[in-house]
Amino acid sequence: MMQIYKIDGNNVEVVSCPPEDVRKGDYLMIEDASTDKGLIVQVVNTGYANVPGILEDILRESSTRRIEGKDLDVLSMKPFVDMIKDAKVFNCKIRRTLVKGKLSYDISWTPSRSTSRIVKLPDEELLRIAAIDRNPSITFGTSKSGAEVSINLSSIDGKLNIITGKKGTGKSHLSKLLILSLISHGGVCIVFDINGEYTNLGYTESNDKTPLHNKILILYPGRNFKVTLQYAGLGVLLNIASSVLDLPATSAWEVRRIWNTLVENGSLSLKRLGEAIDRIPNNYVRDAVLRRYESLVSTGLFTDNVSEATTLEDYIVKVKNGGALVINLRELPPSFRQIVVEFMLSKLCSLLDQWVMQAIFLFAEEAHLYLRETYWEDIITRMRHLGIFTTFITNQPDSINESIYRQADNIFLFNFTNENDLATVSKATMVDVETINVIAKELPPQHCLVLGKAVNDFPLIIKVKPLHVKTMGQTRLFFTRLNSENKDPDGQCYNEGYCPNNFVPNKNLPPIEDREWDKVKHSQVSV
Amino acid sequence: MEVADLSQLIPRDFVRLGCGSLEGIVASSFRPRLVDLLEQDFKGLDDELELNANPEDGVLEPIRLRQLEDETPVFGVDTSNIELGDTTEGTLCAIRGTIVWRENGVYQYVRHGPFIFHITEANKQALYNALRQVYFSEDETVGAPILERMSERIRSILERWLQRQVCQSCDGSLLLFDGSLTTRTVNSPISVLGEILWTARARHNIVLAFSKKTALSVSGHRVADLIDNKYSPCLLNIDDVALSQYGSRLHFFGRIYAVKLVPSCFTFRLDIDRKIPEEEGIQAVQRLLGNDLIVENYPETLRLAHVLSRFSASEVIAMQRYVAENYSLKVVCRPSVRQVLFGPYGGFSSMRTDGADGYDANL
Repeated sequence: MMQIYKIDGNNVEVVSCPPEDVRKGDYLMIEDASTDKGLIVQVVNTGYANVPGILEDILRESSTRRIEGKDLDVLSMKPFVDMIKDAKVFNCKIRRTLVKGKLSYDISWTPSRSTSRIVKLPDEELLRIAAIDRNPSITFGTSKSGAEVSINLSSIDGKLNIITGKKGTGKSHLSKLLILSLISHGGVCIVFDINGEYTNLGYTESNDKTPLHNKILILYPGRNFKVTLQYAGLGVLLNIASSVLDLPATSAWEVRRIWNTLVENGSLSLKRLGEAIDRIPNNYVRDAVLRRYESLVSTGLFTDNVSEATTLEDYIVKVKNGGALVINLRELPPSFRQIVVEFMLSKLCSLLDQWVMQAIFLFAEEAHLYLRETYWEDIITRMRHLGIFTTFITNQPDSINESIYRQADNIFLFNFTNENDLATVSKATMVDVETINVIAKELPPQHCLVLGKAVNDFPLIIKVKPLHVKTMGQTRLFFTRLNSENKDPDGQCYNEGYCPNNFVPNKNLPPIEDREWDKVKHSQVSV
Repeated sequence: MEVADLSQLIPRDFVRLGCGSLEGIVASSFRPRLVDLLEQDFKGLDDELELNANPEDGVLEPIRLRQLEDETPVFGVDTSNIELGDTTEGTLCAIRGTIVWRENGVYQYVRHGPFIFHITEANKQALYNALRQVYFSEDETVGAPILERMSERIRSILERWLQRQVCQSCDGSLLLFDGSLTTRTVNSPISVLGEILWTARARHNIVLAFSKKTALSVSGHRVADLIDNKYSPCLLNIDDVALSQYGSRLHFFGRIYAVKLVPSCFTFRLDIDRKIPEEEGIQAVQRLLGNDLIVENYPETLRLAHVLSRFSASEVIAMQRYVAENYSLKVVCRPSVRQVLFGPYGGFSSMRTDGADGYDANL
């Protein structure tokens, strides 16, 4: 039986005796028949009821523990005493009101303490009330009790999402699930793949091609993705030169002058640009521009060879009915990464501005490694309106600007144990600090707390469904403990050669060919 | 002595009479009370004596003691009672008693209860006489006390029954009782205590009764201040003082001492069966010193018996729930009269505001 103990603002304390199996994250319905309303509250913490005298009981038990004895409990009172001792208090947060079957944000009323009936809200019932699975939807995983959770695509479409949690908890897994789900619904995704872990999304765990294989295109900037200067355009080039390569404004003017001259002469090329820069009379300006030019050339992103040059539109056309462009930033030097991202974002904005495509879903993992400071606000303002809907994925929550959290529509929060990380997330998100601090700390791997529009503002713990694709997101290990999972059926090490004691090399290492850069160096789109 | 030996003894009539009294409250209403747990400590007020002695009489010479370690078993008996709340017809109370013993350095216990009684004006006389008849073999009908004192009287009956069982079951042991060996009321007839002590003597047991409550002063000074720690362990024979002042009104079955077994700020009253020679009684105290732990001047066996008997708040709530559930009682909340009338000036019970000190029996 559950009863209201206290209501204080948004907090409700519920006493449960005998204690019911209610856990953190579960929802309760406080039904007040007299007003025909129900208060939907979420349990954010559980503890024992502060039964007076419990300390006395414990001390008595501890002082008599060494004594052998017998209780002639003829009335069988012990189960009652145990029940009282185990009485629990559930600290809950008010989420919404249900009035005649409809959700309401009006939580200004107080249910009766003496006549209200409190019941655990089954996940299926909560999902029905929250109506988060209206079609078209993405099957996301299951609730703690096993109810299938699907989220409406519109709660992702046009929204700013953050996936965060400590490493190894399943962030990348979720982002891959979102990408594949969006693709299967015709969405266009651009992925800044910092670790090269999205490159095998088109393959199953057994290296077979998935049905979405042809919709996932891998771009290796400087290898299979090169552009001409004409395609890049002066604006993009200057943007890169000034923001990534710190080209001073006066030098930028000189570049602009040279560029315009070359265009007028019809001789704009990387080679001619270099020669023109070489002829700049002012030594200081020439040196400054030349250094930036050499940096750009060294990336290999730009080319004069029309046969090897390509355009973003070429790829966009291939995925316009649903697909992903995975831009592999792995093993690129930081400045090159920034140049690529700068180029991509500028081009994407330009394409969206010209309505070449409707909108795109941008997935940016550890964006602080390649996104310059000024882009954060640009992403949630200008780019969002142009149709770039970003999902940030990070294990360092403080790397994301606070304003991003405040304006995020959805947060997929995986386990965090570090207090500072939790504080960063909690101070800027749409739910109370306690919900995040208590629940996020105890989330098992592959479970996330979903906050925001995706769950209709009912914070929900979801076990993300498994993906049967080659995720490549696992941490690469040199040694893996030899256990039954890592043995072949016959119990032998699966590789030839020396197997030290009970260790074997990790079976999950990507295939050698994936690690050999040269094999993809001059290939076209690797699919 | 094995646990099994003592656990065979069950006060079956307590169970029978208690359950019988409860059956009368089916479909009644129950107002659980916010029980003041301190009230458990007020039992045995009858033991309190205000003694005034003149030190110039020369009777207050400390008797020095020494430890005698001879593996004599030590038994302690204690009981407690508590009121659970009111019904439409009367009151509900619970009784519990414990026997603890130490033998070969090992403590063991048998705990009886709780036994729950529903006492009403209608059944109190019959209940009281039935218990006295069953446990004291007293056929004579005596007036039952007022309702508020009934639980204490029932507890007293259980305590005497447990004391008698211990006396009958042990040989050559030290038997520690809580309280005194003094009678003046009907709750423990003279013949009952006399019989208990006789049984004890017949089996070579010695009864030592420790009373924590006696207010003892000598010319206005508390005895605790008079017995210097440097004399401990020691006894102070105050028997003559007590007899001279209360002998005409009370029956003292024990020889009365003030006792300080270890250096401590506490001094207790100790009654030793008067029918055994004084030297043997003093020797019994020395054996107690050698065969039981003494903490803050109190034998551990008796302390454990007290600890195990006492009801905790959670147990009280559990018992309230037990009767409410098993006898289909309709629980109603009753506001505290003191709190309603006096607000913050209502005394101890009114200081409870959020269940931190009191508790809500609606659990």
